Amino acid sequence: MTRGMRQRIQWGSAVTGIGALLFFAGTTIGLAQESVAVRATMVKGGLPVDDPNAAAWNGATQAQFPLSPQVHWQNRIQEATVKDLKVRALHDGTQLAVLLEYADPTEDPDDAAALEFMVGDKKAHFAHGQPMAQVEGGPVNIWFWKNKENKAVDMNAKGFGTLKAQAHQDVKAKGVYANGTWKVVFFRSLANEHVDEDVQVKPGEFINIAFAVWDGKKDASGELREKGSQKAVSSWWYFRAEAPPDYSAYLYAAMAVGLALGFQFVLIRKLKKGKSA
Amino acid sequence: MGGSLGKPIILTVLIYLFLKFIVPNIPGSAPLPSSLIFLYIMLTTTGIVIFATLSGESKDAFWGPIQRFLTGEKIGALQTARYAVLILFPLLVGWQTYGSTAQSDAPPAENRTIHPAPPGEYTGLSNPVAKTPDNIMQGKGFYAAFCSPCHGGNFDGKGPASRGFNPPPANFSDPTTIAMLQESYLFWRIKKGGVGLPIEGMPWKSAMPRWEVELPDEWIWKIIMGEYDGAHQSPRTWE
Repeated sequence: MTRGMRQRIQWGSAVTGIGALLFFAGTTIGLAQESVAVRATMVKGGLPVDDPNAAAWNGATQAQFPLSPQVHWQNRIQEATVKDLKVRALHDGTQLAVLLEYADPTEDPDDAAALEFMVGDKKAHFAHGQPMAQVEGGPVNIWFWKNKENKAVDMNAKGFGTLKAQAHQDVKAKGVYANGTWKVVFFRSLANEHVDEDVQVKPGEFINIAFAVWDGKKDASGELREKGSQKAVSSWWYFRAEAPPDYSAYLYAAMAVGLALGFQFVLIRKLKKGKSA
Repeated sequence: MGGSLGKPIILTVLIYLFLKFIVPNIPGSAPLPSSLIFLYIMLTTTGIVIFATLSGESKDAFWGPIQRFLTGEKIGALQTARYAVLILFPLLVGWQTYGSTAQSDAPPAENRTIHPAPPGEYTGLSNPVAKTPDNIMQGKGFYAAFCSPCHGGNFDGKGPASRGFNPPPANFSDPTTIAMLQESYLFWRIKKGGVGLPIEGMPWKSAMPRWEVELPDEWIWKIIMGEYDGAHQSPRTWE
């Protein structure tokens, strides 16, 4: 066995040992996520688009987000009724259904809730797409539901005071109140042709989502406690519609195992040959 | 084989444990990303290999046990460990490959700059309001009315309106917030609010109001004095 050959074999064996060590070090440990994202579970068959109590919702992962009174802009409030929001979502590859659930002590005609999304590639401020000084922002798409009509309004805004219902209404919603809890389902197709106005949901991609809730209760003077910008809000969180199953990662892993086994086999064979030479 | 290989292995494991578990607990530090730990371990390993191969003798002493272990010749009771390594290594490679190619369910990482550079016109401004007890007291009153719902009556970022916001309102009693900043920086942040941040500050996520719309500059300067006094911090200065 020559000196050069021995050196190559030595380096090879070192790489095996060091490689194993580095794989341990480089492996990322997946930590459990707090509710930072709504994950729309993919299901086959119909979605429970008009039934917030359907058993199908049990198969959806529940996320929970804290809400704050809207303080970013004038006509702010210091305290809002709804403090937390539970969110579940389902999709079937074509349609999307999002279920909001929150505690509200009273059912009122002006109780309302909304989802908000960015539209297109431009970032938009969570407060109705407020203009930003150093970043060119885009519009937001708002899905608004109110108990009085018990239906959705599909809207856009690019700053406070610009909120406008779209000419085409693509979102449907239904709310059910029971035992001090509102359950509201929003329903729309994942994608549509209104790319400049409507959020386009591509399975597998993370997009931003924010929430708003209004308690429609009136105070002693008959004024609504929460209305317009006086509401409970969240800032941006994440939303992802589950991607269809993709098994290619298993194939790549199997190939990697095969290559590693082959590498080991060749290395040990060379080492043994070198020793016997 | 224990003597020549044991020390490098123990050293590498100790450095990994230090980076992973000790460093995050050092005050002012944070958990290191796995990519950085990987880099440090790589550097350590390279150093060990260079050190162990400086002379012919040390090289043989270093590589010899590895070769014997891999070939399984005269290693006695370590044969079981050898089989374990030969089985585990391909499995680890497969696991790592799966982890890097499978669809991730984790939201994208966000590298938000907490204190981005202010526009030039706001650097070096000095507080034009005299630092008198009256003015500080007035500033604290304005703070209580306008800022405390989010930043908290105790200046700790835990006001009753803070819980729904991501990122959370700044904790002024934390020495890494206003104590690291000049008064002019706070003036810019309060005046222009979240929407005034540059792109690296992710202005679309900040709930901080643009107070220039509602408050005169003099009030903002007084609020700054009230904040520093209430949080028991001092503004950063260049002197």
